[in-house]
Amino acid sequence: MVYLIRKILATVSFIISLLATSSLAYADDVITFAEADTITGESLINLIAFERAKARGVNAEAISLQSDDLVFQAVLNGQVEIGVGSAYAAMQTLGADAPVRNFYQLKKLGFLCVVNKNEIKSWKDLDGKPITIHARGSGTEAISYYMEKVHDIKFSEMSFVPGSEVRGVALMKGTINATFLDITNTRLVLASDPDKFGILDLGDVDGSDSLLFARSDFLKERAGDMQILLEELMRSAREINADPTLPAKLREEMGLLPDLPQELVDEITPYFETAVKQGMFAEDGGGLPAALGDFDFLVASGGLKGPASNLNPDNFWNFELLEKAKSALN
Amino acid sequence: MENQLKYSQTNENSRLNITKVGSKTSLLLFRIVSFLLVFSIWELAGRSDISIAFPPFSKVFLAFIEMILSGEFVDAYADSLPPLLIGLLITVVGGVIIGVSIGLVRGAEWFIMPLLIIFQTAPVSALIPMLTYIYGISDTSKIVAIVILGMPLVALNSYKGIQATSPSLLEMSESFLASRANTIILVILPSAQKMIFAGLRLGISGAFIGIVLAELLITPTGIGDLITYNRFIARYDKMFATIVSILAIAGLTLSLMRIFEDWLFPKEKN
Repeated sequence: MVYLIRKILATVSFIISLLATSSLAYADDVITFAEADTITGESLINLIAFERAKARGVNAEAISLQSDDLVFQAVLNGQVEIGVGSAYAAMQTLGADAPVRNFYQLKKLGFLCVVNKNEIKSWKDLDGKPITIHARGSGTEAISYYMEKVHDIKFSEMSFVPGSEVRGVALMKGTINATFLDITNTRLVLASDPDKFGILDLGDVDGSDSLLFARSDFLKERAGDMQILLEELMRSAREINADPTLPAKLREEMGLLPDLPQELVDEITPYFETAVKQGMFAEDGGGLPAALGDFDFLVASGGLKGPASNLNPDNFWNFELLEKAKSALN
Repeated sequence: MENQLKYSQTNENSRLNITKVGSKTSLLLFRIVSFLLVFSIWELAGRSDISIAFPPFSKVFLAFIEMILSGEFVDAYADSLPPLLIGLLITVVGGVIIGVSIGLVRGAEWFIMPLLIIFQTAPVSALIPMLTYIYGISDTSKIVAIVILGMPLVALNSYKGIQATSPSLLEMSESFLASRANTIILVILPSAQKMIFAGLRLGISGAFIGIVLAELLITPTGIGDLITYNRFIARYDKMFATIVSILAIAGLTLSLMRIFEDWLFPKEKN
């Protein structure tokens, strides 16, 4: 009996020490950025900033989650510190009491409308035809509704296929004739058959593609570290805007994304050249003008309930941190 | 002697009936208490400060009613039910035919069994996104997802039911010079019925998992869209209401299957 009790005590103490060790491992000070996209060459703008912030004593990492809604939920529950994406609709639902706020515009919308030229030559040809988009509530849905208004057309159906790469494959297989793709996948589809695929001009679409958002209590608690991260993010955006070949060079110098396949390495500079040309990276982190631009765009496209003038930017954004980082950098 | 036997039988029957009625009432009571208990714990957990993303049961219930009245469920199920029903039909009919065939024909057993075992043990949900590369983003992908999740369960259980036929029953049918067809219809299938229906219930559960996974992972339409969209706009009450609705429909289908089984093979003969 005594022997049995000893064994049970030994097992219990082993489990407790195991739990204690694992909770110690969790209780680190790394700031995790979660996004609903694979970490590829396009993420170098953040990764370079993380590397420089590390030299200033702030550790940050990027992880990939399955979808935008999961990212928001993880931030809300405090399982990751920073979310990357767009969470305006969720913030509007939760109202002024929402514990989460946007604080930095990472990049503006950079989608292109890629079509099968044999079937579709202009926006008018898409009247009454289906279009394939990322998901309900996504930036691609917002663009679709916006295009319906601008060109006075009506899509017969908006089908949801998450992931630019999946929609790209569907386009190449001929399953669909029109969709929105990111820059890298647009290049891949166009290169596969330049005579068959083309791009429809989106005109002046000015909305955020990826914003950084976090819980307000976290932003307050780690304000010093977050300021350093924002300074570095702005610095890398400014340097990349001045020289789009920089990410590829710094990737090698800093040893970032060492396992990236060569074909994706080759895509880095063309991607940043196109993105810079489209003005995707704001040099001042967006702030109030970005928030107001997003309200106009999202209300016009049905992504937010309007009117835009009734929306209070302070219910969606925390500007304080960005202002401090901007003045420190300038 | 005969009267005595009759009397004891009647006595036995009435005793059985009393037990049956008693057990049915208490079973219903237990079920209601169990539901109430779960809902109460849910309500308390939702009202405590666990997470803003975990609403209390009362809020989910109201969202459930709202979604029925607004027609959101009708629209969503109009999208989800056609592939689910086609997939279920293929799963049920195909699964039983394959299971019975491999139970009766040795060649079929060697040919199909390894595939079934692989599908039963493989993490099929990880393969679902790959289906888009083969079948595109159409309903076919969803139907295939349902079938690969449900059919192996039906087929393997039917096979095991056939295999478990008592040798003495087979010897008996042989001694009565029953034809092969008669042996299958009158001896083997009734004997395997319990296992076949157990497989069908598991297969139907698998099919429901398949449609939800497919709608979450391939193309967010129907109920998958309701789950992802409501999570996206932080309407967590509606998200949970959608999950409860699919659980209710799956539970209802399984109960209907139970009633069908009882009707086909009345309890006394089981």
